Amino acid sequence: MSNVSHAADWIGERRADNVALAPRISEDWLSLIIGLLIFALALAGLANTNLLGWVVTTSVWTNLGQALKTASNSYGALGGVGALVATYVALLVVLGAAALALKSDLKKFALAFTAVFWIAYASWIVGNFANFAAVTPAELQKFGINWSLKLTNEGGYIFALLAGLVVANVFPRFAENIKDAVKPELYIKVAIVILGGVFAVTAAGKLNLASSLLIRGVAAIVEAYLIYWSVVYLIARTWFGFSREWAAPLASGISICGVSAAIATGGAIRARPMVPVLVSSLVVIFAVVEVLILPFIAQTFLSHEPLVAGAWMGLAVKTDGAAVAAGGITESLILAQNAAEGVKYQAGWILGTTATIKVFIDIFIGVWAFVLGYIWTNHINATGETAKAHEIWERFPKFIIGFIVTFAAGLYLALATPADIAAKVPAAIGEANTFRVIFFILTFFSIGVLSNFKRLWAEGIGKLAAVYFVSLFGFVIWVGLLISWLFFAGIKPPLAS
Amino acid sequence: MTHSEFHEELRQGVKEPLLPVEKKLIGWSFGVGVVLLLILTLINHVFPVA
Repeated sequence: MSNVSHAADWIGERRADNVALAPRISEDWLSLIIGLLIFALALAGLANTNLLGWVVTTSVWTNLGQALKTASNSYGALGGVGALVATYVALLVVLGAAALALKSDLKKFALAFTAVFWIAYASWIVGNFANFAAVTPAELQKFGINWSLKLTNEGGYIFALLAGLVVANVFPRFAENIKDAVKPELYIKVAIVILGGVFAVTAAGKLNLASSLLIRGVAAIVEAYLIYWSVVYLIARTWFGFSREWAAPLASGISICGVSAAIATGGAIRARPMVPVLVSSLVVIFAVVEVLILPFIAQTFLSHEPLVAGAWMGLAVKTDGAAVAAGGITESLILAQNAAEGVKYQAGWILGTTATIKVFIDIFIGVWAFVLGYIWTNHINATGETAKAHEIWERFPKFIIGFIVTFAAGLYLALATPADIAAKVPAAIGEANTFRVIFFILTFFSIGVLSNFKRLWAEGIGKLAAVYFVSLFGFVIWVGLLISWLFFAGIKPPLAS
Repeated sequence: MTHSEFHEELRQGVKEPLLPVEKKLIGWSFGVGVVLLLILTLINHVFPVA
């Protein structure tokens, strides 16, 4: 199976006009439902009913036997391995139901998910090994070690990504066999829905700062849709001689939000289905490269401007999964660096900034696709089949509704409920956040599995890659940095109490 | 269309000169984008984060 068809699987077998073929419910809606379900179950904690405390968490370790435990001590009897098995079974049931709704083969999905979950989580555990993850001198002393790569515990995401890359590039037949459960878009959207609630709890403590971040997210929309898009389209059309059919999805893929934007644009301008699919494959490959490089550049040069770094990840890294994941790694690296210098920032603000930027950009994909569709069908390829306003809603990323709902609910619970209830909110949503981490891990591994470099090159998209390379590294990344600096420089996350 | 035909199409490129409507799209997008960013930068300067 080619990388192109892998990308088609990720996208979910769509026509060029972005309408799903068989399933009655889209991955987008399913991600919203699953995310809200986890969030709602976590909120049972407010009524002193702990429904999710059995989910597994991993600590930095030197003794493997102490690496795993349950999220809540009330389920401590389960033990670390028991928690891991319980988490696997629960996710298998929920995602298996989602696979059924998507009309996938349940048995194939179950087998594939089993492989995906255990490899991905094993990579995460390896990434939490103290010699990889410990950061501060106190931690080195605590674990009795004298060196560490200082990747932090969230460096485990990189291990999951590398494991996926190994599977894709060394064991392509195995990658083919597990493709039914390689769904980075589904996993990251579930994670983003949960992240809304997590960010709300973080934001509740500093509402002024949070609202300022939201307002500054508007700059990201302007930058991605109006400035990036026009420049990349011009480069693709004039420097590289691409046709309009190729240049428009490519410009959207590089400028806006990777896969979703490329697919929406391809549908809007009535491109052949293969065009956005090829562009999407390219987006994934470059996103992997960015995730492996940019967080470390941010840590080196932006550790004293944490929110600039967070916004930069949202603007520079394409695809929701890779961007939010890069935000997570960046937060971890920068918080660790500052902690080593004696400054302890609250967690959640850098990742929250990245996610906010990304969500703001995503909201307008449908509108932009409609604008392009209108221009193409009326002025470029006037075939009589014109773009319709309802396509804006059809292309609206529904998981964003979930993000908004959990954010609003989290804020309400943290700010507008009696003190005894509000005090329980962080712990309750913290258990949902443990699932968010697991969905991140699955996302990283899945992105890696989709990145078969050799096959992609064999498809002959070197010239597309050249446009992407020139635009991304010559323009998008640096303008993103400039805009992030203009709007976020000097804004610091609150200090941890 | 087969993969090899796509490969060839991508390699060779297609001669499609920029239409006036494309030039307008590029120009207006970029121009409006720069103006909006300047306005937002000004707002950001006048109303800094508390």
